[in-house]
Amino acid sequence: MKVLIVGCGRVGSQVAADMDRSGHEVVIIDRDPNQFSRAASRGVLTNDFKGNQVVGNGTDADVLRRAGVEDADGFVAVTEGDNRNIMAAQIAKHIFKVPRVVARIYDPERADAYEKLGLHTICPTLEGAKHIEKTLMEK
Amino acid sequence: MYVIVVGGGTVGYYMSRDLLERGHEVTLIERDQRRADWLETQLGSIVMRGDGCEVKFLSQTGIERADAIVAVTADDEDNLVALQVAKRHFKVKKTVARVNNPSNVEIFKALGVDEAVSATEVLLAALEPPITT
Repeated sequence: MKVLIVGCGRVGSQVAADMDRSGHEVVIIDRDPNQFSRAASRGVLTNDFKGNQVVGNGTDADVLRRAGVEDADGFVAVTEGDNRNIMAAQIAKHIFKVPRVVARIYDPERADAYEKLGLHTICPTLEGAKHIEKTLMEK
Repeated sequence: MYVIVVGGGTVGYYMSRDLLERGHEVTLIERDQRRADWLETQLGSIVMRGDGCEVKFLSQTGIERADAIVAVTADDEDNLVALQVAKRHFKVKKTVARVNNPSNVEIFKALGVDEAVSATEVLLAALEPPITT
């Protein structure tokens, strides 16, 4: 599977490294080139990473095209900005027709609104809180 | 006409001022408190401080009876989300965006925004006919 990941923070770099290790074709995009070296210094995305790293704005259709969005099977939007993730994910889904698209949205209300519009969203705020409460009650 | 303007930068400020002068009802939304305070000294109580992408905040602006919403922040993604929320959640009839990246004109329209205007594109067009080598 060919996957494009927008945002090379902790989550983005982790997904990139894991998917690369399991044999997928990975392209990771970030507008800040330092994010790639930061990931490397955390021990993620080290020298054995076989995927491509692209410096650019993931909400720019031309950048996405250069990164190979046109024949991608999967697309993950995990920048720090909810709106950037929403926009990048919609471009991937509706303009480039990428079959599987996931967007991280911290704001529960916005996540819910876009989920209803057919975007596959993950809301770490709600899911994190739920998980924490569950763990707390188990012990 | 009741118009909501999202983004109180230079464009949002002059737009709101012009709309008011033409006799329209305007609400100007600005996220930054200090900027909102300044805008209020210029334009009066039409300024509201808040995030124009948030459903709860927008519902306090009388958006249900707005005839149009214009998003003119400097960030294309913020303009897109504000207008999609306005269109899909609040059924605002006319949504107009400022876009910075010219290729977002077509993308915004494909994603449900009624009108998208790129200053970059307008300026490029003003250079027409293109200088040929």
